[in-house]
Amino acid sequence: METRERVGRTAPWSGQELRGMFTTATSWLEKSAPDIDTLNVFPVPDGDCGTNMLLTMRSTMEEAYRASDRNASAVAQAMARGALMGARGNSGVILSQIFRGLARGLEGRKSFSGNDFATALAEGAILAYKALTRPVEGTILTVAREASFAAQSACAQSDDLLSIMEATVKAARDSVANTPALLPVLRQAGVVDAGGQGLYVVLEGVLQYLKGEVGEMQYRRPQVVPSSMPLVSKLPQLAAEREEPYGYCTEFVLEGRKRLNPDRIRKRLDNKGQCLIVVGDESLVHIHIHTFDPGKIIQYATSLGTVHQTKVQNMDDQHKDYIEMIKAQVPVADIATVAVVSGEGLTQVFRSLGVTAIVPGGQTMNPSTRELLQAVESVPQDKVIILPNNKNIILTARQAPRLASKKVKVVPTETIPQGVTALLSFNYDADLEANASLMGEASLAVKTVEVTRAVRSTKIGDLKIKRKQAIGFIDGELTSVGDSPEEVLWEVLLSLDMEGSEVITIYYGKNTRRSRAEEIVDRVRQQYPHLEVELICGGQPHYHYIASVE
Amino acid sequence: MVKLVTDSASDIPAKVAKELGITIVPLYVRFGSEVYRVRVELSTEEFYRKLTTSRTFPTTASPGPGEFAEVYDKLAEETEEILSIHVSSKLTVVYETALRGKEQMKRKCRVEVIDSLSGVMGLGLIVIAAAEEAQKGANLNQVADMVREAIPKAHVYMCFDTLEYLRRGGRIGRGQALLGSALRINPILDIKDGEAHPVGRPRGRAKAIERLYGLARSFTNIRDLAIEHATTPDEAEALAQRLDPIFPRERIYISTVDPVVGAHVGPHVIGVALLEG
Repeated sequence: METRERVGRTAPWSGQELRGMFTTATSWLEKSAPDIDTLNVFPVPDGDCGTNMLLTMRSTMEEAYRASDRNASAVAQAMARGALMGARGNSGVILSQIFRGLARGLEGRKSFSGNDFATALAEGAILAYKALTRPVEGTILTVAREASFAAQSACAQSDDLLSIMEATVKAARDSVANTPALLPVLRQAGVVDAGGQGLYVVLEGVLQYLKGEVGEMQYRRPQVVPSSMPLVSKLPQLAAEREEPYGYCTEFVLEGRKRLNPDRIRKRLDNKGQCLIVVGDESLVHIHIHTFDPGKIIQYATSLGTVHQTKVQNMDDQHKDYIEMIKAQVPVADIATVAVVSGEGLTQVFRSLGVTAIVPGGQTMNPSTRELLQAVESVPQDKVIILPNNKNIILTARQAPRLASKKVKVVPTETIPQGVTALLSFNYDADLEANASLMGEASLAVKTVEVTRAVRSTKIGDLKIKRKQAIGFIDGELTSVGDSPEEVLWEVLLSLDMEGSEVITIYYGKNTRRSRAEEIVDRVRQQYPHLEVELICGGQPHYHYIASVE
Repeated sequence: MVKLVTDSASDIPAKVAKELGITIVPLYVRFGSEVYRVRVELSTEEFYRKLTTSRTFPTTASPGPGEFAEVYDKLAEETEEILSIHVSSKLTVVYETALRGKEQMKRKCRVEVIDSLSGVMGLGLIVIAAAEEAQKGANLNQVADMVREAIPKAHVYMCFDTLEYLRRGGRIGRGQALLGSALRINPILDIKDGEAHPVGRPRGRAKAIERLYGLARSFTNIRDLAIEHATTPDEAEALAQRLDPIFPRERIYISTVDPVVGAHVGPHVIGVALLEG
């Protein structure tokens, strides 16, 4: 592997370096391919998206090393050819378009600048859209478009490829996180788009090369981008049998006897199946289609030229394998946990701690029994623990065990910190009863602080509260009032006995600035040097701050 | 007399090994292009210092079969029976390599290689018990039987304060469930059926050590007990003192976690290993 130690260097970049960038990207993708496979739900949940993209990249790089010349243009042309010949699957074919764009953008250049690269990426994104008759948003296409747009905007500030790629990768990440918002099937499955994730990993690999971090990569692994919206459950409906068959995924490369017209071929095949992608040029065209009659497609193709690299796969078989793969992967425990949570950050916290399903909700947004039941029924396990995480939701949650077809226990957590602590004490080896009591007991060991603003003026005990004033609670009990949430949080924390406590976690809310939260953290650290203080963007509505003391 | 062989992932203190005539084959740790035989060419102190200061992350490796063959051949000069007990085959290739080493021996000698399905002092205590048995005059079959019976009775609980090293490193089986936590936790793992397995994820080190204490206390019939640490001997000693009422302090082994394991769990690991009677 070619390694570059120089960081932040500027143009010109050579063909050899172009090769280095995508060689690094390929090894980076290789680590992520199995993860990407499990995300794969669109257009067909067959669990091979990561593998397909990897095979596409490999073919791309094999050609890159066969390039006749080491200049940028020749290497890019070779890569485009390799990508087209070796493209596999929807995302692979779309990925090949990015390389085709790159080849076009770099045509005739010995070397290239950041600007050239960004322009070439944009070209690739446009070509990717053109390859489909009906482009769908929330897929690799969206990620390609948004990432290349960010690349171009970054160009306006600097021609430095490293900073351009930093902006591009960040945009790709945001775009992947947003895919469930655009594509309902992803939302239902509780995943981000697999192809989009794959493209993000490729771009991130390029960035690592530019940063000179090729050596360190071996100890890291690409992370699956967390969704930007709460996801109800992870892949439950995939376990259900699908009645409608998927047909055959048919893919091949067509070498024309005469000049080929990709647009005409696309039109001609449009009603012959699903997920049609036709890419290429006058001499070589890659065709991908899901059809019930692969024979007809190939027959048509042979009338135009010779057919190569033919691949026909029964997608129903693939889907079955995929379900097996998911089943083997998903349930780590045979007991599921369902938590009521709102806020992007808090959702992420619960997910990271292994919660099976999340029902969005909380203070002033109590979910219905039906919503809770849906979540309970949607998880693959038949034993379920519900964490309501709010006093007002406990009663609703208590209806679930009676109504559900599964064995359900409610651990009556009244606050988010209680829910977190309960989840942390989940024991993989214990049964439902034992876990419920273990988690219930653990949840009582944490102190919860909440800070919000009063919705109306009132008087509670000795405290006179004006509307919109900040108010602080300890375990649900109102104890402080003040003008700013920070002031109240500080006052509440000071009033607690910190002797014997070890960790304070502060989750700041959606409408709270991180810098203000950081000031409080600094003060807490100064006041209580023995405590570990952790600040997390909870993103929760309603509460400016939620803190746990344990 | 049966001679005992193990690898450095057993964490047996050098003094104990010497007294009991246990041969310890060192594993390898590598920082970039520098390769060390652990505890021979690189002390644990130096290792943990490098682990926290070096920019390159260490990788670990097993000795080759030839090295095992050499060790066995050397011992064969003075004994006719060798028992070689190693770290779990589900965590490293050491066990397989030892088996191949046995095939490459030049001398004739009975060698039995056993997969302990454990590691660190879980393995260490098994080997110590075996060596004691051998000193009492048991033959190879008897010692090997005793070891096989002891394997399910060995327990190891390790707690550490960052997941960073596990994330970079690797093979932790169901311990995977602990990765990716958005909150700082002090995970506790045990080794069960040869693989790492999550036991708990308390928050805060004091709570984690309390948990270790509770786990050790849950056993009623303890034959041997060890406390292990990487860079925090005072903490290990304090825990040993606390455990004194359930197991006499003077019989508790205190040892340092081998770099080969330390590379995966980081410099603040602390653990309890015990062998039930």
